[in-house]
Amino acid sequence: VYQVFESVAKKYDVMNDSMTLGIHRVWKDILMHKMNPCPGTLLLDVAGGTGDIAFRFINYVRSVRQRQLQRKLRHNQNLSWQEIFESYQKDKFNSLGDSQVVVCDINREMLKVGKQKAQHLGYSEGLSWVLGNAEELPFDDDKFDVYTIAFGIRNVTRIDLALQEAYRVLKPGGRFLCLEFSHVSNPILSRLYDLYSFQVIPVLGEVIAGDWKSYQYLVESIRQFPPQEELKAMIEDAGFFKVDYENLNFGIVAIHSGFKL
Amino acid sequence: PSHSYTGQGGQESEDYESEEQLQHRILTAALEFVPEHGWTAEAIAEGAKTLGLSVAAAGLFHSDGSELILHFVSECNTKLSELLKKEQKLVQLGEAEKKPIDEFLRHAVEARLRMLIPYIEKWPQALSVLLLPRNIPSSLNLLTSMIDDIWHYAGDQSTDFNWYTRRAVLTGIYNTTELVMMQDSSPGFEDTWRFLENRVADAMAMSNTASQVQSTGEAVVQGLMGAAVTVSNAETSRAVR
Repeated sequence: VYQVFESVAKKYDVMNDSMTLGIHRVWKDILMHKMNPCPGTLLLDVAGGTGDIAFRFINYVRSVRQRQLQRKLRHNQNLSWQEIFESYQKDKFNSLGDSQVVVCDINREMLKVGKQKAQHLGYSEGLSWVLGNAEELPFDDDKFDVYTIAFGIRNVTRIDLALQEAYRVLKPGGRFLCLEFSHVSNPILSRLYDLYSFQVIPVLGEVIAGDWKSYQYLVESIRQFPPQEELKAMIEDAGFFKVDYENLNFGIVAIHSGFKL
Repeated sequence: PSHSYTGQGGQESEDYESEEQLQHRILTAALEFVPEHGWTAEAIAEGAKTLGLSVAAAGLFHSDGSELILHFVSECNTKLSELLKKEQKLVQLGEAEKKPIDEFLRHAVEARLRMLIPYIEKWPQALSVLLLPRNIPSSLNLLTSMIDDIWHYAGDQSTDFNWYTRRAVLTGIYNTTELVMMQDSSPGFEDTWRFLENRVADAMAMSNTASQVQSTGEAVVQGLMGAAVTVSNAETSRAVR
């Protein structure tokens, strides 16, 4: 798995765009919307290598924070100028409202690409990058508000261990969110999807990233991955409550959610 | 599924709490933050925090605050029931005078509406959420059971009205008074209570006419249409403000 991602790291984003025809951006946006984080949330994004989820998270809490501050200012309209000035100063340096995201990935190359992207796009505060294994996270218990793993869990050898670790590091009340390729039940769509996956994607892999084998592996790992209900059962086994999933695009992708209660 | 709830000290307590009970507790805790944050996921997140849970627990609920509002309405209805039951007992024990029907209705509606006062600024927002198609079955249910409850405690004086009119009449009185209250800026809401007095008096006068069933039905429908328009206007003007 490590070598697959080493070669794939640099072209990861480009390949994502071409494989999914850009729709992966929409899927990630939907994930963020579902999370609906409020400022002050501590997010752990596992297998988040190039930072897609992390950047979206920061944008989201930043805009929620903006709205919060606007509302506060409107409320403060009866204060003196001095008081308004002081409250503005206090909040000015807290544009994220203490929200933070830790991006954890097993692969140094992916993290490197992520850090570069962050610098390039101008993300500086609220981000940390940690090298780590989803089956054995380098974090204490009960630390995070939300744990996400987007298109990463299918690459984990022992999914049950990763789920247990997710449970461990989440605070009580915390949420587990998993965005992953899943099973299409509609037979017609399923055939088209198979055709696309096995014929087109490895070719794209060769043309764009110069790597047929890695993308062949990716497509096969998607097929081998447990379907929605099975994954739901595994998440429940790890101790999560109110586990449920939402199919996107007829099941090509699914978002599973669970709470540590 | 019931599971053991880990208390403050990290000790497992003997109380088993269901998911539903926990959600109930979160929503109750969230009410405290409604005046500041409105009926939103933010208020729920703050509520969860006070219980020692992560803010992510707000994800258990809809982001439009529907459950929070329905929870509040249900709690208010329960409080009203308990109040009326207590007063009924006092009357049965001979410790209090039995109120005449018009006074009783006024008292019950006023008591129920007064529960909105701490949240009155954000109540128009709540009303519009309750009118969402998804929520209408639940909100209508809560409304009718509250109205039926009041009639139940009104006792046998209520036989002046026929059963269907009773519900419609009181629903109309309640809804219109609620809307007046949203726009009322008089001290202690005295304008609202005067409006209520007049509406109840109208209803009493109406009960003496034979054509009440049909005309009441029509009047109530018109009242509710007007209500929907008023609420949406109130919401727009509030947003502009």
